[in-house]
Amino acid sequence: MLGEILDDILVSRSTGSCVAATRHVPARAAVLAPFPASLDPRIGQALRARGITELYSHQARAWELVEKGENVVVVTPTASGKTLCYNLPVLQTLLHQADARVLYLFPTKALAQDQLAELEQLATQLPELKMFTYDGDTPQDARRAVRARANLVLTNPDMLHSGILPHHTKWATLFQNLRFVVIDELHAYRGVFGSHVANLLRRLRRICRHYGADPQFIMASATIANPREHAENIIGAPVGDVTESGAPTGDKLFVCYNPPVVNPELGIRAPYLAEASRLALRFLRERIPTIVFAQSRLSTEVLLTSIKAGVADTTGDTGMVRGYRGGYLPTRRRAVEQGLRDGHVLGVVSTNALELGVDIGHLDVAVLAGYPGTIASLWQQVGRAGRRSEPSAAILVATSAPLDQFMMSHPDYLFGASPEHARVNPDNPFILMSHLKCATFELPFLDGEPFGERDVRRELAALEDEGLLHRAGTRWHWANETYPADHVSLRTLTTDNFLVIDTTARDEKQTKRRQVIAEVDWGSAFATIHPKAIYLVESDPYEVQELRFREDEEKVAYVKRVRVDYFTDAVSAKGVWILRRLADRQHPSFRAEQGEVLVAEKVVGFKKIKMGTLENVGSGEVELPQQEMQTTSIWLTVPPAVLARVSPSREELIDGLRGVMHLLHRLGPIFLLCDVRDLGSWLGDTTPAEAGEPAERGTMVATRESTRRRLLDAETFNPTIYLYDAQAGGIGLAERLFEVLPELVQHARDTLRACPCAWGCPSCVGPVNEVGRRAKATAAAILALLTS
Amino acid sequence: MPTLDDLRRVIRRIEGARPPRRAAEPVEKTLGGEVLETGAGTVLAVHEDLALSERYGPVALGDILGIAPSTLAVLAPALGVAVDPRGLVFLDTETTGLAGGTGTYAFLVGVAYFSGDRLRLTQFFLRDLDEEPALVAALAPLLEGATGIVTFNGSGFDVPLLETRFILQRRRWPLTLPHVDLMHPARKVWGDWLGDCRLGTLERRVLGVSRERDVPGAVIPSLYFQFLRRRVAAPLRDVLAHNRHDVLALAGLLGWLGRAVEDGTAMLAPEEYAGLGRLWERTDVERACGCYEAALAGGLEEDFGYAVRLRLARWEKRRARWAAARALWETALAAPAFDPRPWEELAKFHEHRARDLPTARDVVTRALDLAAAGGASARIVEAFSYRLARLERRLAT
Repeated sequence: MLGEILDDILVSRSTGSCVAATRHVPARAAVLAPFPASLDPRIGQALRARGITELYSHQARAWELVEKGENVVVVTPTASGKTLCYNLPVLQTLLHQADARVLYLFPTKALAQDQLAELEQLATQLPELKMFTYDGDTPQDARRAVRARANLVLTNPDMLHSGILPHHTKWATLFQNLRFVVIDELHAYRGVFGSHVANLLRRLRRICRHYGADPQFIMASATIANPREHAENIIGAPVGDVTESGAPTGDKLFVCYNPPVVNPELGIRAPYLAEASRLALRFLRERIPTIVFAQSRLSTEVLLTSIKAGVADTTGDTGMVRGYRGGYLPTRRRAVEQGLRDGHVLGVVSTNALELGVDIGHLDVAVLAGYPGTIASLWQQVGRAGRRSEPSAAILVATSAPLDQFMMSHPDYLFGASPEHARVNPDNPFILMSHLKCATFELPFLDGEPFGERDVRRELAALEDEGLLHRAGTRWHWANETYPADHVSLRTLTTDNFLVIDTTARDEKQTKRRQVIAEVDWGSAFATIHPKAIYLVESDPYEVQELRFREDEEKVAYVKRVRVDYFTDAVSAKGVWILRRLADRQHPSFRAEQGEVLVAEKVVGFKKIKMGTLENVGSGEVELPQQEMQTTSIWLTVPPAVLARVSPSREELIDGLRGVMHLLHRLGPIFLLCDVRDLGSWLGDTTPAEAGEPAERGTMVATRESTRRRLLDAETFNPTIYLYDAQAGGIGLAERLFEVLPELVQHARDTLRACPCAWGCPSCVGPVNEVGRRAKATAAAILALLTS
Repeated sequence: MPTLDDLRRVIRRIEGARPPRRAAEPVEKTLGGEVLETGAGTVLAVHEDLALSERYGPVALGDILGIAPSTLAVLAPALGVAVDPRGLVFLDTETTGLAGGTGTYAFLVGVAYFSGDRLRLTQFFLRDLDEEPALVAALAPLLEGATGIVTFNGSGFDVPLLETRFILQRRRWPLTLPHVDLMHPARKVWGDWLGDCRLGTLERRVLGVSRERDVPGAVIPSLYFQFLRRRVAAPLRDVLAHNRHDVLALAGLLGWLGRAVEDGTAMLAPEEYAGLGRLWERTDVERACGCYEAALAGGLEEDFGYAVRLRLARWEKRRARWAAARALWETALAAPAFDPRPWEELAKFHEHRARDLPTARDVVTRALDLAAAGGASARIVEAFSYRLARLERRLAT
């Protein structure tokens, strides 16, 4: 059936011409290995009971390395039985050493819950093992029992950071007997977050040493370019890697689908969401399990609405397609996962939340509504489709965004590009200092004791001068009233969530209870639950009546069930202003400055968009405060005289500078060992921010287009490239950029020269249809002058 | 969150030199006491011996020795064992903060214990943070030889903190040590009356001891940190004095509670009788009720008396002393603000116990009138209406 539908998509009149490219990934047979001779027969029995009679080669290889005492990282695709790589040696050890303790780290609570369920299933026939999750949801009275009795504790980095390590004496039994630390989803720990986690593990290993333990690390990662290097950076010790998957894969067809041009004059394509929904429906109507990935929470809901409607047309069964995204309450998500596993739920529309290893069984088709932004994500999402022997398909439906369109016209780039590097910099001074405080709180530092591999005597001395540490005899002690872990957040995201409360029933006096239907994180609240917004939960529309966001209020949005045929999409504006110059440097042909900036974003209004047709049916304005962040930045101004030598056209120069900015932003992380998302960039001018309220001081945010207009019309043309630290307050990335800027500019010039594309691509100045046809040449000319 | 400038300064300081520390003046000279040699280094121990006839509050210290183990069990029902008061250790710590976790130190541990015909107070003080091993080494044998410890909020603070310090020094905290945490009985006895039940408040209002000049607990950590940096010990005299008061207040409070529990003729304020009643509730209801009666007889403020009356009525009801309960409820009806509880109890009594349906109906009708006048919630009105309807039905058949 799957094959027939695919054939039809490829050849039929309506869709055939939309297929920009296809790739066939042939089936691969399993590479099997017998159970290791040393495997406890009881575990072998448990595996056989689940229908497993042999291991895949990568599982056997991981077993071998662990048995040799090595730290291991396993990098294999989704659904290749990765978890057995760590669960087998762990269970073996727990069976043989009653005292042994094991710690599992997952980036989210949900994944820990999931893995506990899987472990429990595997261990049903084994002697009793005490396995518990320990996180923010663990009730206070259960915590003591977990600390004292658990053989295996599943937790997350945040809990380890603020709840476990600073109280390690309560966990003495665990640390004394810690044999393994398992870290799954290792690829999630990159950039700033990863640098925090690397320091967290320095602290963990330090505590282990105090208790005389030296645990082995077993890690698992999705495909990244540098798994072994990354694992070694994270744990600060040598790691062996297992990268060859022995799991079988069925035949897979990858289709690049570009929605048809509906207005040839203007080059407008059919809405990609509608196309994605139509494609998904063709499979779902034939009861073929399908996952649809959307690029945002809003598009998840929009897609879900139309797919649900489409399915109901023929089957009348509305529970068979579900939504899945962050913000849904945990119970709702658990129900969807369970439904997918047992087959009650046939299809799911999800954000990248289902990219991680949440167990949802196997689906046959993945429809990607839009390119997910990175090659690594692309393959994670594609990997969600495909049973071990049956054929499967993945369809990438392009949006009209330049990046997507570039991928459609250059499929070789898409299929050939290597996944991104995961980078961390544990020695970033801001992050390092934060964790040194926590580490000293946990245990006094012996003079000369390294932190990880690093000599930290100077840092400790500095912290003493700050009045935080005190040196007594040969040790540095924490000497402050505060609890340092409270002041260090591992993730940039705040945990300050908005509750979305449905007041429909309360207003009709049917209930007094608060009906919380979802949560929205602070960062996206203004764009999704502003007053009059239509907020969708599994495609049910609610209208926001009131948003409470003031500091002294509980953060809530009151919503009411409505029957409308549209949804809302927020319109936002942005701006960057200089607050304070801290350093400047005149390079031969440009001026670089470094200092503090104000980055402001504001939701200024919304568009009403009709469900189904996705046409714009109205708009509205909203009055919301500007969301501001102070951070550190560098900015680079090219003197008008230099620019004049490149081109007389401001328009061309702006495009060229955008291209240069794209290059610098993309290449900067290589020098900073951070992630692309840890930096922000903006092409503006050098207007300083003035004191006072935003409205008075002229720091009016603007859309990208109006900024361009302002630059074009300005009396003095002083376009300025900003590269700023995306973490509020900054963690020193800008300072470092300021130092390496000449090399970075040089590297940008070389990269651009070496790029084989004709007019610009995502690897250099950005996709041609975003920056324009002249951008590559203009950028090259600007860079040549900057480096001369 | 640290500001940008804070962080930048930290980074800059890495490059700079550290100012030399001033020469230390001998702490033991300023604070007195002896430098104790333990197998794990040195620590300062400041001693004071108090005669058993001395008082901290109305009771002589020596009287504590006469407190029966059964009395201690009333004060701390969780004890489970008979504790000889002669072996008790009174304990209070001063710490580098309230945050908890492994980075919070107990820099001063004050203990008092009976030794011959004296109560001996010893304060172990860390002249520097590296003396902690010695402090733990000196404290451990004292605790191992004790029959129990007496603290104020020790189960919530001092004990887990010391347990952490012991584990960090690779010693086991004596887990089975019986613990009398006086905060729990104190809350029962004085909580309703004084509202605030801090040790300092009790010391002043119950024991009648006033400290001449006391250093506020909140500034103690910073005083210690200043000492660590400047090595000037004089300001710490106040901290030692504060800790001394706290330890002795534990003894004074235990003496007071012991006498109140054991000596029925002790002169107590009516409010204290009421509080004592709450203390007795868990172990001896008869005595609890006796205390409530004494409290009411002694005269209580209107609201306080009202609450005690209802409490007593509840126990009388449980013991099926209906006449007494009824009298208390009827008195309670006179309260100026409408309270449904005594009305409801009386209605139940007349309907189910006395089987006097007309009187029950009468009570409920009056209650409903008052409820309506007093603006009671719909739920309460509904409950009375339901009861009235049932009574009407039963009266009709």
